[in-house]
Amino acid sequence: MTAILNRIKVALGPDMAGPGFALIAVLVIFSLASPQFFSWATFGSVAFQLPELGLLTLAMLLPVLTGGLNLAITFTANIAGLTVAWVLQQNGGADAGPFAFFLGSVLGIGVGALSGVVMGLVIAYTRAHPILVSLSMMIFLRGLGEFLTRGGDVSGFPAFLQPLGHGSILGFPVPLLVFIGCVLIWHLLLTRMKLGFNTYMIGSNIEAARYSGVNTRKVLVLVYTLSGAMCAIAGIIMLARFNSVRVGHGESYLLITVLACFLGGVNPFGGFGRVIPVAVALVVLQLLSSGLNILGANQHLATAVWGILLITVMILRFAAGHFQSLKRKKG
Amino acid sequence: MKKFMIAALAASLSLGVSFAAMAADKVGVVVKIGGIPWFNAMDAGIKEQGAKLGLDAFMVGPTSADPALQVRAIEDLIAQGVKVIGVVPNDAKVLEPVLAKAKQAGIFVITHESPSQKGADWNFELASSTGFGEAHAKLLAEKMGGKGEYAVFVGSLTVPLHNAWADAAVAYLKSNYPDMKLVGERYGVAEDVDKSRSTALDLISAHPDLKGFLAFGSQGPIGAGRAVEERRKTGEIFVLGPFSPGQGQKLIKSGAISGGFMWNPKQAGEVFVTMAARLIKGESVKDGDDIPGLGVIKPAGNDIIVDQLLPINKDTVDELAGMGL
Repeated sequence: MTAILNRIKVALGPDMAGPGFALIAVLVIFSLASPQFFSWATFGSVAFQLPELGLLTLAMLLPVLTGGLNLAITFTANIAGLTVAWVLQQNGGADAGPFAFFLGSVLGIGVGALSGVVMGLVIAYTRAHPILVSLSMMIFLRGLGEFLTRGGDVSGFPAFLQPLGHGSILGFPVPLLVFIGCVLIWHLLLTRMKLGFNTYMIGSNIEAARYSGVNTRKVLVLVYTLSGAMCAIAGIIMLARFNSVRVGHGESYLLITVLACFLGGVNPFGGFGRVIPVAVALVVLQLLSSGLNILGANQHLATAVWGILLITVMILRFAAGHFQSLKRKKG
Repeated sequence: MKKFMIAALAASLSLGVSFAAMAADKVGVVVKIGGIPWFNAMDAGIKEQGAKLGLDAFMVGPTSADPALQVRAIEDLIAQGVKVIGVVPNDAKVLEPVLAKAKQAGIFVITHESPSQKGADWNFELASSTGFGEAHAKLLAEKMGGKGEYAVFVGSLTVPLHNAWADAAVAYLKSNYPDMKLVGERYGVAEDVDKSRSTALDLISAHPDLKGFLAFGSQGPIGAGRAVEERRKTGEIFVLGPFSPGQGQKLIKSGAISGGFMWNPKQAGEVFVTMAARLIKGESVKDGDDIPGLGVIKPAGNDIIVDQLLPINKDTVDELAGMGL
């Protein structure tokens, strides 16, 4: 019995405790507070809203694991979305064919990756702080996007894009499937691949990693490139969900992605953190926001509750660590 | 202990949340942004009429005017199982897919300030776009003496209604007052006081002959009025447009804003609920029906357009502001 429990404990990992506990707490409290909470419709609503935030959080996760930050994620996503919109518009707007969309998506992901390459190169070679570099990139992309669109929206896309944002396959929302796919890719990347291992090493101690023969510059550039490409995927999903592209779409998500990373047990200084707890943390944040909406609470309250949740989880994590070290001393 | 503390924390938070009777049919109205006077007045109308008609009617005000947040709010309303969703769209196109989803779930959709909105059962306006635009244009021409330069603000270049007003006003002035000239393009700043103010200041500097602002958007006249006051051009440059009387009371009294027309957002809130009640009960909405708050209607497509204009000027502003607008 204890052996099984231990196996589960190891599989889930200690970093699962915070988000896992928060998930249960949120589920219990909201289902007590509102009879409608435990319904298929609620989970449908959550499943459709989660992916756009989730994909951006994945884009934030890799740089955070190296001890950096990518503040340009939302604007990279929208610039990639604009690229797709531009290709569609060049090919007939609402009448564009699937090939135009495919071409646009490839170009869009390319643009996202390019912004990542530039950031990665600057960070790796000049050793400027990632916050400064990505902030500059964010300001550049925002200005560029506002210049190109004159601050307005681009819309009028072919009808076959709608299912990508609002359709379901076998009852599973398409954006959710895309998100789950990306979570799995990130999970495999970090647990099974050399790049993932090196990412953790750089986050723990970049000098030690360099002396151990890790090509830290190459890894940093790759990490930011992947982050940029993931932003582009988020941008394409947002394009389909909102039926339009605007440079400011989802601007409010930027800090929430950082919040989700930390809630998911990622070390803010890099080196530690896993994908699955972060995904659970995202579910918690979305359940909390949808749950409060379903109760009819003020929208501003949801933001405040997110803050409280983060602080609570940090205190709990500290307490749990303290408790464990006490136990070890006694044992 | 820890669990208990979290539970207590969450419980105390949810106490601040309003619980309404579960039995009543729910009507949720998503507005452009929460916490500004215009939509507070609409909220009051929605709640009063909801209590009167026995519906659980409430307003959802997103934390910023990001169309993405409206999509999220509507998705949560669908999950909540409301009978009717009302929307004052930030961006008509962004909402099309999610409104289609609401209809699939058997929910009635009513919009306001978004002519011919796709996915809506009905869209209602308390002012016809030509009537409203021309009323402002006439007043502006009268104040400017029929000549000089003027600039036009709209809430955003993607708000269809503001642009329809602007079209009507500009067309009216062009054909009736050939000596009046529009400067620049349309500026999509009028949902934001600071942007309206700074754009107005820039325009005043750039165009010395500028004599008038037509600002369509609730914050536009306020911002432009402040700019006129700062430049001490009161009485030389005339600012016209619909705005919240309480917010612009001082500016209109000092003459920095010359006047405008509006409709009553509280009345709009009431109409949302009245229409919702009719749709839930299956009552007709057709040509010649007399609906409280709208009068006798004459629907065209899914649009119900009536002219219920209220002039805002030095004489009426106190009374309107007293209503909490």
